[in-house]
Amino acid sequence: MTTPRASADIRLDGVSKTFDGRVRAVDDVSLAIEPGEFFSLLGPSGCGKTTTLRIIAGFEAPDSGRIHVGGTDITDVPVHRRDMGMVFQSYALFPHRTVAENVAFGLRMRGVHRNVISARVYEALEQVALVGYEQRRPAQLSGGQQQRVALARAIVIRPSVLLCDEPLGALDRKLRQSMQFELKQLQKELGVTLVFVTHDQEEALAMSDRIAVMNAGRLEQVGAPTEIYDRPRTRFVADFIGEINLFEGSWQGGRFTMRDGRVLPAAADGARSGAGAVAVRPEKARIVAPADAAIAGRIESANFLGGQVLYRIAAAGDRHLLAKETNVGAAVRPIGAEVGLSWNAADAVVLED
Amino acid sequence: MNAPGFDPGRAAYYALNGAIIVFLLTPIAIIAVFALNPTPYISFPPVGVTLRWFVKFLATEDFMVALWLSLRIAVVVLLLSMLIGGACALALARGQLPGARLLTAFFMSPLMLPAILTGLALFQVFQLPSVDRPVWGLMLGHTLVAVPYVLRTTLAVLANFDTRLEEAAASLGAAPLRVFYEVTLPLIRPGVIAGGIFAFIVSFDQFPISLFLVPPKGETLPVVLFNYMKFDLDGAIAAASMVSILLALSVVLLLERIIGLKAYVKL
Repeated sequence: MTTPRASADIRLDGVSKTFDGRVRAVDDVSLAIEPGEFFSLLGPSGCGKTTTLRIIAGFEAPDSGRIHVGGTDITDVPVHRRDMGMVFQSYALFPHRTVAENVAFGLRMRGVHRNVISARVYEALEQVALVGYEQRRPAQLSGGQQQRVALARAIVIRPSVLLCDEPLGALDRKLRQSMQFELKQLQKELGVTLVFVTHDQEEALAMSDRIAVMNAGRLEQVGAPTEIYDRPRTRFVADFIGEINLFEGSWQGGRFTMRDGRVLPAAADGARSGAGAVAVRPEKARIVAPADAAIAGRIESANFLGGQVLYRIAAAGDRHLLAKETNVGAAVRPIGAEVGLSWNAADAVVLED
Repeated sequence: MNAPGFDPGRAAYYALNGAIIVFLLTPIAIIAVFALNPTPYISFPPVGVTLRWFVKFLATEDFMVALWLSLRIAVVVLLLSMLIGGACALALARGQLPGARLLTAFFMSPLMLPAILTGLALFQVFQLPSVDRPVWGLMLGHTLVAVPYVLRTTLAVLANFDTRLEEAAASLGAAPLRVFYEVTLPLIRPGVIAGGIFAFIVSFDQFPISLFLVPPKGETLPVVLFNYMKFDLDGAIAAASMVSILLALSVVLLLERIIGLKAYVKL
């Protein structure tokens, strides 16, 4: 087993980038990524996550703001002196070189001695389980194998920071899941700081130590996966991550009231007043008798998901609510049944924005 | 599958292909027949097989001097046009130049103009400063019409070039010049060489431009052959043509072998 390598922290201070003088791709982003952290930039396409990664890598220069890695300001350091590993979505393997030559490239650029190169190439290929493929060309490999070569090529230079731009995006679902485990394990083994760009929220939740959710070039929320999922701060985050029931209304005397006057269970933090919104995850909502419910409706559809059943409930005012029940062997509730939803006040997420 | 029936569509397809191949190869076949026919004038049908016209061609000093000159010029044109055309293509595809489309059209324009006009224009250009008709003028003239071939093939490769490859190389520690030599150049090479082969052939059998630019006693092979043909129409002309064809073919095959045109690039 290799010794853990030094990993570096990354700090972005007020980084902005505008393209064509109009589109604000990245808008005043400040971030502090810990050494050895698995950090994801998550958001829909066009949210600025890839541009942020490319700014860290040095492919794009920010219009304003500074980037520090390991305490050093690298904003003006060119790409080839940044010492970061990069894995591209398209893998970007050199098609005219063999697997071994691809992996050796970074070492060759560093003037490492030939004998040392072959030993380290072997070690890197071992880490991605591709020993024996040295003399193949990229075109002769499957997508998953190309992905591993790209990974080996990036880690063989022992970077303190590894940047991944949707590295698993082109793989099929099954392969993606096993690569998620492997990548995460490899990252812990190497102790490298990893910045991971993805639009797949499940992937981000499963792999990350922390996630930054981005929208329209701005950071919406930064936090651990549980925090992002259980305590989304904004409507955007609540809506983007998983499924959620969103209720618009207003705060009056510490109580959340919908427009039709109904009071919903929710715990206000402090003296909140005026318009607001709360959100409830489907698995936190309980299906109860209409009389005991915070909100009543009729079961419109039931999707059996295996471990759970997802109910879609039509409520007053053309609303549709979601509730998930764990499959404990009970019969699926009949469609058309009059039911109600209830939840603990503590499970209602109070959205700030 | 039943017994193979007659498919008129497929038959017509093969017939058309056959006709096109016959059309393209007939002139070469005729040349070959005449080059091997012993009669001292071009006639049909051939009365025998002889190599005397090849011997005559190879033994005539005027032909050999011209052939050697043509070859030297073609090699220089090959190198010059690969250099200029390759650099041009890189600048046009990557340089973010204002008016890149217009510039591309401008550099391609020698292909659109009748070569006889280009030849006349060059003749006048060289007359103005009275530099007469030096051999480098001839090389420049050929290069002018050869560059567009390299430009076009290289631009085609660059249009499909994944710039992430260069970014990957940079992120692995390659300085910009190193990125060029390690990644960009090897990947555009098939395009540059394919264009270079065209350039060689364009120069080697260039006639209209050479006609204006060759000095007396410094004529290229096509011009010498043309002049010879005005007085004699024997098998030596056909033999010369055969030698030209074989030479051009061997240059193509040699380049293929040595540098390899197997494109790793998706074209």
